[in-house]
Amino acid sequence: MLGMAECKGRSQHSPSSSMDSSNHPALSTTASPCRPDRQNLSTDLRLGLSLSTSPSLSSSSLHEAESIISNPRNQVLFNWPPIKPFLRSALAASASRHRLQRTLFVKVYMEGLPIGRKLDLLLLVGYDSLLVKLCHMFKTPITYAAIYHQQVPGVKAAHILTYEDQDGDWMMVGDVPWELFLTSVKKLKITRVG
Amino acid sequence: MTYFPEEVVEHIFSFLPAQRDRNAVSLVCKVWYEVERLSRRHVFVGNCYAVRPDRVVLRFPNVRALSVKGKPHFADFNLVPPDWGGYAGPWIEAAARGCVGLEELRMKRMVVSDESLELLAKSFPRFRALILVSCEGFSTDGLAAIASHCKLLRELDLQENEVDDRGPRWLSCFPDSCTSLASLNFACIKGEVNAGALERLVARSPNLRSLRLNRSVSVDTLSKILMRTPNLEDLGTGNLTEDFQTESYQRLTVALEKCKMLKSLSGFWDASPLCVPCIYPVCAQLTGLNLSYAPTLESSDLTKMISHCVKLQRLWVLDCIADKGLQVVASTCKDLQELRVFPSEFYIAGYSPVTEEGLVAISAGCPKLSSLLYFCHQMTNAALITIAKNCPNFTRFRLCILEPGKPDAMTNQPLDEGFGAIVRECEGLRRLSISGLLTDKVFMHIGRHAKQLEMLSIAFAGDSDAGMMHVMEGCKNLRKLEIRDSPFGDAALLGNVAKYETMRSLWMSSCTVTEKGCQVLASKMPMLNVEVINEVDESSEMDESHGGLPKVHKLYVYRTIAGPRDDAPDFVKIL
Repeated sequence: MLGMAECKGRSQHSPSSSMDSSNHPALSTTASPCRPDRQNLSTDLRLGLSLSTSPSLSSSSLHEAESIISNPRNQVLFNWPPIKPFLRSALAASASRHRLQRTLFVKVYMEGLPIGRKLDLLLLVGYDSLLVKLCHMFKTPITYAAIYHQQVPGVKAAHILTYEDQDGDWMMVGDVPWELFLTSVKKLKITRVG
Repeated sequence: MTYFPEEVVEHIFSFLPAQRDRNAVSLVCKVWYEVERLSRRHVFVGNCYAVRPDRVVLRFPNVRALSVKGKPHFADFNLVPPDWGGYAGPWIEAAARGCVGLEELRMKRMVVSDESLELLAKSFPRFRALILVSCEGFSTDGLAAIASHCKLLRELDLQENEVDDRGPRWLSCFPDSCTSLASLNFACIKGEVNAGALERLVARSPNLRSLRLNRSVSVDTLSKILMRTPNLEDLGTGNLTEDFQTESYQRLTVALEKCKMLKSLSGFWDASPLCVPCIYPVCAQLTGLNLSYAPTLESSDLTKMISHCVKLQRLWVLDCIADKGLQVVASTCKDLQELRVFPSEFYIAGYSPVTEEGLVAISAGCPKLSSLLYFCHQMTNAALITIAKNCPNFTRFRLCILEPGKPDAMTNQPLDEGFGAIVRECEGLRRLSISGLLTDKVFMHIGRHAKQLEMLSIAFAGDSDAGMMHVMEGCKNLRKLEIRDSPFGDAALLGNVAKYETMRSLWMSSCTVTEKGCQVLASKMPMLNVEVINEVDESSEMDESHGGLPKVHKLYVYRTIAGPRDDAPDFVKIL
């Protein structure tokens, strides 16, 4: 079932404390030393997200989504971005010291439940980890823009994830790149479908 | 001119400090060659393997200031394996034999040993200045030798070196008779220093103009030091992480207020936002500010500080400043010439505070901007076109979009047109780094318009050999070309072989060049060293055949009159 597939318990990718990209645990091992495959670009456009997938991602399996990482091209990136080791290690040391200090807590309500929860979005790496987290919190399948719009016949989640942005409008989660979402999200709401 | 006595010719040459001019006059005739070489005071060697050290010393025995560079630029990003080379030893030994009048030595990206530093310290009685940038291989014991023996030392400037810290003893090695220090930078030393020794050293250095501390130096020590250096022009702070007591703050503010000549500030390692108000008194006089080691300062702290910095010409900052912070920079810093925005978090998709909008605002507000290094998560052609029109004076333009191959964020098109606008409008462009989704078209633009370009950095760009060939054909002043992860192969490598003799070097890694192609290049151009660097541990894809031939992982080509070098490790093959 598509709805349930997104909410299977999946291993979360926590950012490695080691700053060497070559042993970053979340980076997949498919390597393309040259430019990313152009085909991925059109897949992105269809999904309407900046999340990439391997070319084999189609309607059927969302297992590919399990390997979605912050680098949407699924490339192994050695020694990228090009910053000097001095700065890299200074930021790594600082990041591990200060990670807990940078937070982005938002309230999450589920329709029908008067009491809401709170969630630190900076602990997540993207929409899929957000979905997984919320499914665990609220014990129900939830969908968002990418999946909802794929219109897979016969499959529908009971709830849909929406957010309130800085203008006060309620929007479906998943239409904009994750980074942009983080700058505009104020609140989350899980509403019933249909 | 040959009727003039040599002293007169020499005097005339003294008005030609530039190495290029001196090289030119030395070609005129034997007499001029002799006069020139004996009166040359500054020698700059851009590639330590382009010429043998003995030859340099033999030709210029009276040199006072020697500057040598070792590893290629991409070594800064770990692309050159350790033990590749770039040893300072032969240079220091040759100088010790042949030019004992040496006063200044600058080295960048070289491997320097403690033994070499000791030899340096003992061999040159007039030695005054040691500047080491991005070097490695030495420890604080080597620094102790310098401090102990260089009686006239004016400058010890250690920038971003990898130094083995063997304790604080080295700073105490400056003898009491040493009163000549004008510049001391030990920011890259990791461990503690003796505060008392530091204070005493500062107290007996009336000429001290530039002082960059490391993060072990406490606020109180900093305040005490500043009370002794009212003429200080450049300061790198020590530890400002604590949320200190109010007294410490007041002392620091009072001390800073005394430094009326202070123009440049750096350091701020993990600085606490509470230290920001201390800096306010000096902000209005600052021309240079480096906050790139303070991810602890949020956009609001940064903008509060920068809103006072009306004279700022050079700003280095992290992307925490955000677009709205850059807008404050744009409206405050009208004299801004150099801006660097570094990424603070790049492995997780945290919110991306800096986009093309920040840069557009800067370009609109700061018309004097000429040097840029900008890391961001997205860019658009429209923004680049606007930026190019607003700032036609760029001499250095380096844009790094963190996701390789990312297209225009609005149109999903390649960024060819945007960079095309940059090279078209900025006629004085000397250095360029490109990123994002780019086809061969961008190289067509670069080849056609970037006539003053000297250094080009390419990563994850282009479609075919034609891309690189556009650059090799069109960029008449190209000196350094460095390429990674781009589909350029043998045809591009061999398309214009004569060009390599006019360039300092070419670097290609993770491209589609084969060993056969490299061999052809080596055989056609005996004046080049063609180094094939193959390591075992990197990407497994490198074994893939390309036309039946193994691909070369890393290639470094440079012109040389020294022949193949004899200090190359096993994994380097010189063809």
